[in-house]
Amino acid sequence: MSIAVLGVNHRTAPLEVRERFAHAAHEVPSALERVLRAGAGGSVLLSTCNRTEFYLAQPRGTVAEAVWELLSERLGAGRAAQEYGYVQRDREAVRHLYRVSAGLDSMILGESQIQGQVREAWQVSRAQAGPVLHRLFQSALLVGARVRGETSLGVGNASAPSAAVALAEKIFGTLAGRTALILGAGDMAELAAGCLAGEGVQVALVASRTYERARVIAERLGGHAMTLEEAWDHFATADIVLCSTAAPHAVVTWERVAPAIRRRGGRPLCLLDLAVPRDVEPAVGQLENVFLYDIDDLQAVAAQAAAQRRGEIPAAERIVSEEVERFWGWYDGLGVVPVIRAFRDRLDDLRRTELERALRRLDHLSPEDRAQVDQFSQALLNKFLHEPTVVLKRAARVGHGYGLLEALKKLFGLETGAGK
Amino acid sequence: MPTLHLVALGLYGLAAALALAPFAGLPSLSRRWSVALPGAGALAHGVALAQLNPAGLAPILSLLALFLIVLQLCCELLLRATAVALFTAPLAAGLVGLALLLGLAPGVEVSAGRNVWSVLHVTLSVLAIALLALAFVSAALYLLQFRELKTKRFGQVFQLFPPLERLDRLNYGALAIAFPALTVGLLFGVGVRFAAGVAVAPAQLVWGSFTWVVLGWAVWARVVRGWAGRRAAFVSIAGFAAVVLVYLALKLVEPGRERFL
Repeated sequence: MSIAVLGVNHRTAPLEVRERFAHAAHEVPSALERVLRAGAGGSVLLSTCNRTEFYLAQPRGTVAEAVWELLSERLGAGRAAQEYGYVQRDREAVRHLYRVSAGLDSMILGESQIQGQVREAWQVSRAQAGPVLHRLFQSALLVGARVRGETSLGVGNASAPSAAVALAEKIFGTLAGRTALILGAGDMAELAAGCLAGEGVQVALVASRTYERARVIAERLGGHAMTLEEAWDHFATADIVLCSTAAPHAVVTWERVAPAIRRRGGRPLCLLDLAVPRDVEPAVGQLENVFLYDIDDLQAVAAQAAAQRRGEIPAAERIVSEEVERFWGWYDGLGVVPVIRAFRDRLDDLRRTELERALRRLDHLSPEDRAQVDQFSQALLNKFLHEPTVVLKRAARVGHGYGLLEALKKLFGLETGAGK
Repeated sequence: MPTLHLVALGLYGLAAALALAPFAGLPSLSRRWSVALPGAGALAHGVALAQLNPAGLAPILSLLALFLIVLQLCCELLLRATAVALFTAPLAAGLVGLALLLGLAPGVEVSAGRNVWSVLHVTLSVLAIALLALAFVSAALYLLQFRELKTKRFGQVFQLFPPLERLDRLNYGALAIAFPALTVGLLFGVGVRFAAGVAVAPAQLVWGSFTWVVLGWAVWARVVRGWAGRRAAFVSIAGFAAVVLVYLALKLVEPGRERFL
């Protein structure tokens, strides 16, 4: 096993579990260091609202146990993360990442936001990634771009914010002239604000820690920015509140917003919580005329839109398969050179030993004759090695060299000092 | 005349079946058909009614059905509220069917003559009832969509029903037009009483006044008190139900197929 992915995603774990596994950018390096110490040549952590996945290069020893232990600690109460997890190895691990990057494994089929999240994961994990994962993530981004460029998988409203817009439209009809509060000033909040402003919604960005960034985004979208303390009163007037902060706990609580919501006079309020962990306390959704949706609810809405994209899946999967083979070809090629070198060295050592032994017995030979015998042994070795070398290189080029390399290493005892 | 009514009945029935089709797992009706079928039915229906005196139970039920279909078409064309047909198309088909069963011969009110006062009284009053029915339909759709959105089901109701605020506006508009229409219609009724000298049955007086009060209460709640959303929907449903129940009760007291009341 040389590349592996261990993790949980929206298919295997409910939101309450996923939000516990979510890692903020500053938590990633320490988590990866811990994994590397357990035994891996490189590691990248991809943590989004829908997945937490550790990609491992050359995993060995108890690294898998270390990853599950790390995640289980976040679950608490003696619960095991493995219950929600999956493991993919080698080609399947590569395929998995490519499918993730292409949006094929997303909650909303074909959504493009994941592309940025894969890039961010790679950048945050760069110091711990190692050359193989570095190449893998680079190629994954290219695969995502190729799938979106060559198929219609990315066409239409498929990102979480655009699904949120579609949901708001089911409450308000046209959104033009409505007002929206966007809590947060991260990429998701910016994307959501852009989607809403595009529909003619007056947006106000709410942020405290990143107020300056919120102000810049709001100005660009023709809106304004405010602090969190100023925002609570606006729950009485805003039509849409979209939450996407990085807060580790609920920001919008019943106590904070219920008095303002009661002043709405029966007008509906659409509360869209795109954050993981959730920003809105579930009790807020119990208030009259408040429609609260979290990231899992968007899945259900987007699933309907995704049905229209399903026709593009075969074409996208073909691209993914092609690219998996291409990567694996490179990866096999990466391993074949040192193994062939080790193989040749091992046989050459044998040749030299046997040649010396034979020449000791043939001390009547002239130096010219000795040179002839040496040349003969070298030519013979080259003849023997030619076919296996060609076959190995050819198999590596088409991505089928891994099995042969493993066999060669085992048969000739090349385990140490060779390989990836 | 019954032939054109039968044609209208068939087309309304088909429109109702196609509106309900998605709930039976069948493909939903294209917008073209959701306009063409009831539109053709309304055309045949209108031609048939133009040849009838709008007096008596059967012609008035038929007129009510025509107004419901016309309002359904308005909702479809102006608000893209296709789901309104889920209620109005079967209701209109049922009313036309009932009118055919009762016989479309004019009732005793024909003695009032085909004067302008009478035609305007009947037309505006029936239009107001049709609008009250539309307010009921939009309120029912609102509550169903509200439940769908609140419970996050996102099924056929979510897909096919209009947005909440559009349904709320439809409810508001229907009530806001119904009330003046009924008021003027009743004033024309007073004109019929005095100008044509036609006697007004106590049941007609009671039901007319009751409906006016109910409609007035609903409009007061919406316009003056500013009620909206679920509360306004409950008012519309309760008001329409009360009007229908009182009508049925009075009809039991004064039975007869020759008079509307």
